[in-house]
Amino acid sequence: MIRRATEEPVTQQPTPPAIHTLTLDGEEVSFTAGETLIDITYRHHKDVPNLCYDPRLEPFGACRLCIVELEGANNPVASCTTLAEPNMVVTTRTARLETHRRVLMEMVASENRDIDVDPLSGYASQQMRELVDQYDARTGRFQGEQSGTSREDDDNPFIKRDYDNCISCYRCVRVCAEQEGDYAISVMNRGFDTQITTEFEGLLVDSACTFCGQCIQTCPTGALADLKALANKDVPGETVTTRTICPYCGVGCTVDVMTRGEQIVGVLPAMDGPANEGALCVKGQFAFDFVHHPDRLATPLVRGDDGELHEASWDEALDRAATGFRKVLDEHGRHSVYGVASGRAPTEACYMLQRFIRAGFGTNQIDNCSRA
Amino acid sequence: MNTPTNQELFDAWRHEPAPLLPLLHAFHDRDGYLSEGAMRAIAKELRLPLADLFGTVTFYHHLSREPGGHQAPRVCTGPVCQLKGAAQVLASLDGATSMPCPGRCDDPVPVLVGDKVFTGAELDRARSPLPPPPPDGIDECVFAAIRATARDSIEGYRASGGYRALPTAIEKMRPGELLDLVDASQLAGRGGAGFPTGRKWRAVADAEGTPKTIVCNADEGEPGCFKDRVLMDHDPHAVIESMALAAYATGASRGFIYLRYEYPETYRLLARAIAEAEAADMIGNAVCGTGFSFHLYLRRGAGAYICGEETSLLNSLEGKHPFPRNRPPFPVTHGYENLPTVVNNVETLVSVPPIVVHGADWYRDLGLSDHPGTKVISLSGDIKRPGNYEVPIGLPLMSLLQDWAGGPGEGRSVQAVTMAGLSGGFLAGEDLDVALDEPSIRAKGSFLGAGGIMVFDDTRDMIDVAHSAMEFFAHESCGKCFPCRIGTRRLTERLNGAGPDDVTQWVDEVSDIGETMKQTSACGLGMAAPLITESLMKYFPERVTEHVGNRRGANR
Ligand SMILES: Cc1cc2nc3c(=O)[nH]c(=O)nc-3n(C[C@H](O)[C@H](O)[C@H](O)COP(=O)(O)O)c2cc1C
Ligand code: SF4
Ligand code: SF4
Ligand code: SF4
Ligand code: FES
Repeated sequence: MIRRATEEPVTQQPTPPAIHTLTLDGEEVSFTAGETLIDITYRHHKDVPNLCYDPRLEPFGACRLCIVELEGANNPVASCTTLAEPNMVVTTRTARLETHRRVLMEMVASENRDIDVDPLSGYASQQMRELVDQYDARTGRFQGEQSGTSREDDDNPFIKRDYDNCISCYRCVRVCAEQEGDYAISVMNRGFDTQITTEFEGLLVDSACTFCGQCIQTCPTGALADLKALANKDVPGETVTTRTICPYCGVGCTVDVMTRGEQIVGVLPAMDGPANEGALCVKGQFAFDFVHHPDRLATPLVRGDDGELHEASWDEALDRAATGFRKVLDEHGRHSVYGVASGRAPTEACYMLQRFIRAGFGTNQIDNCSRA
Repeated sequence: MNTPTNQELFDAWRHEPAPLLPLLHAFHDRDGYLSEGAMRAIAKELRLPLADLFGTVTFYHHLSREPGGHQAPRVCTGPVCQLKGAAQVLASLDGATSMPCPGRCDDPVPVLVGDKVFTGAELDRARSPLPPPPPDGIDECVFAAIRATARDSIEGYRASGGYRALPTAIEKMRPGELLDLVDASQLAGRGGAGFPTGRKWRAVADAEGTPKTIVCNADEGEPGCFKDRVLMDHDPHAVIESMALAAYATGASRGFIYLRYEYPETYRLLARAIAEAEAADMIGNAVCGTGFSFHLYLRRGAGAYICGEETSLLNSLEGKHPFPRNRPPFPVTHGYENLPTVVNNVETLVSVPPIVVHGADWYRDLGLSDHPGTKVISLSGDIKRPGNYEVPIGLPLMSLLQDWAGGPGEGRSVQAVTMAGLSGGFLAGEDLDVALDEPSIRAKGSFLGAGGIMVFDDTRDMIDVAHSAMEFFAHESCGKCFPCRIGTRRLTERLNGAGPDDVTQWVDEVSDIGETMKQTSACGLGMAAPLITESLMKYFPERVTEHVGNRRGANR
């Protein structure tokens, strides 16, 4: 198997991996066994163009834009699927490579309805447009039938399935299988008729899809698009992203929250998030409406003698809670209390609850909902 | 006979290697199509994601998802059958659909109905025609004994010299000596790529990891190729014996024959031969009564030319989506189930037993001048005696066409031929004066490949022929890589009247697409397909100008 560069080889005793060298655009560079050529070009900021590459996924080799010249090989080779070998001589830009890349981009441009899509569509949605412009590929050559059929019948609230704009890079299918382990989508048919599908061409809700949104964020064309973000496309203002942590659970996925003015317009996963490496679940990805929801609590509430909830200060509210707990303890004893920590709570909060129940009440009746 | 239940089908296949294809066929045969229920049950039984299984089923064009689809007639509309009235046959049959070339170009027009093939000449012709005898003074290798009486039975095979090589090798040779012998014969792959067989076997013998596997590539999907069919139909034991020899040489303990869907009669013949060989201990736990064990399994494809590409074939066997794999690593180290695997063409394999019996020098000397050995050519189209001919490598093409096969029809001349089935594009004009050996043909910008040659006489419209050829590649492109997925479609459109109506622009587009396909495609299909347009423009530039120009007139 080809190993991704980020994975360490499994060995009994950690021996440092052997360092080899090869020539990259005339410079000697070092690499470790198991790295692909594209990994090395990235490390040296060569920006080899690509559309089917996602560093988190197994090498695939669909778009052929990442071709490089390899001394001794007749044809260019795809750098994303070629393992580096000692003393290779690799060139990333030549007239021949640039000609093929331009022809490939003209071909890709010819199969889609849109090249320009709203950046709110998703994290990678501008990738194809950028390459079309970089290679000046809006020439109108190679016109013919367009590929893919959009699923306008799929009325799920999260994911737009606009396959008229699909270029069959299969990143969505691969991210769903390799990153999510959901295997909700696959490739149907062959050749120009390939189509991303669920089993029996059904709707996403009827499939194994968990609406994690990973497929959206890796799609390089906006064919899969974030409907929740696109719903905010008319919100005025420039999109600003703010790095933060998803509030939903203890995993602590890093997210980049997109705002315009005071309004959250969407969420992007952070590809460099240490806990998630670009992954999110349906909640972190799509469930941000609560922030601006009118029902959301903004201050503590305590119930008054009239039986209604009234706004209160934190001191007031905590005193009221403490009084209540003490009353239960006095009247019914220490084993009348049972604490359940939320699965959404981080370890520190779980620890605090455990201390609170054990030391505060003197009982071992403490549990966590994720054990149920 | 009782209809088997799902459970009975699962029980039959659950513990067999490579169970997906046989299970799909079992349900397809039983129900007449693959129902949603069947796919759900199979996915559950084999623990495959349902979406993946569904996608994979849609990849194969002979698996029907409509009730009754299994029995619906499929008519070949390949380049040769198109010349021989395929359109009329298609129109005359109720509910018939067209299919790509099913390897009967010597007997047009074939119609596949369920598990039977009907051809134009005779109904349900079970076997392929025997190869015509060679001219005097020509020695054959793989066809030398094929015309012997009852050669397809184990008795007939033995009586005509079969099952001599295997016991000899096991008793008298060490595996390394057998490898040396195959090396010395200079036998090279006959499935298209021409890789030296001895080197391939040695790489598997040297590779780490067991069990090792021998795969016989009997997918024969290239239009105009039907040589493996004649070998398997009339000499199935030679396939078995040669696979056992390959296993002995490499240390493999299991083997698969991957047979194309369109050869149902061949499937039955091979299944019978395998049972006979098992009963006679030519394969099984104690081959020839020794401690050497080799188990052989027959698997049937489901309609996909790309599954002849060895890594796509391996994915297909493993029940995965049959995209080709990225190489390196190659099958010799990372083949079936990621273990060392020999993938060889039928013709390559069956050359080995005669080499063991007669020696490496004998085999090498069968070729002309310095070219070692023989090659079976499947000849079809506008030729008096179509069929399979085993020629000495290096024989002049015109000698085969004129002297061996009688030339084109009365009063006709050869306008063009295809090479490597379709994958080599066309040869025409002065380039027809070429010897049938790989270096000579490559010098003309084409290649001999699997050895299918279709002949087109001077009455044929080469634009139509080129269009039909490109339509095939577009139909069969797996869709994995951009240049081939998009390029085959764009070239087909341009041969069918679309595209620029200025000749220079048309030629520019077609050449640019072709060049990028040749140099950047991920596998041989996309690299070979543009040879069609390249050779069309090279030999028939005036027809191209007419084609583009006519359309301009028509568009106005
Ligand atoms: C698109 C494509 C189709 C192929 N189809 C076949 C086939 O039907 N039969 C075959 O033996 N080889 C076929 N090959 C070649 C195989 O990949 C492989 O090289 C061959 O089976 C090796 O066997 P050999 O060395 O005995 O020739 C095909 C290759 C390509 C690229
Ligand atoms: S949203 Fe997640 S689970 Fe659903 S198809 Fe996309 S990647 Fe797969
Ligand atoms: S939907 Fe997007 S990610 Fe999926 S194959 Fe199409 S272009 Fe690629
Ligand atoms: S060249 Fe064609 S058949 Fe081969 S991998 Fe690419 S798309 Fe598939
Ligand atoms: S990035 Fe290498 S082929 Fe697409």
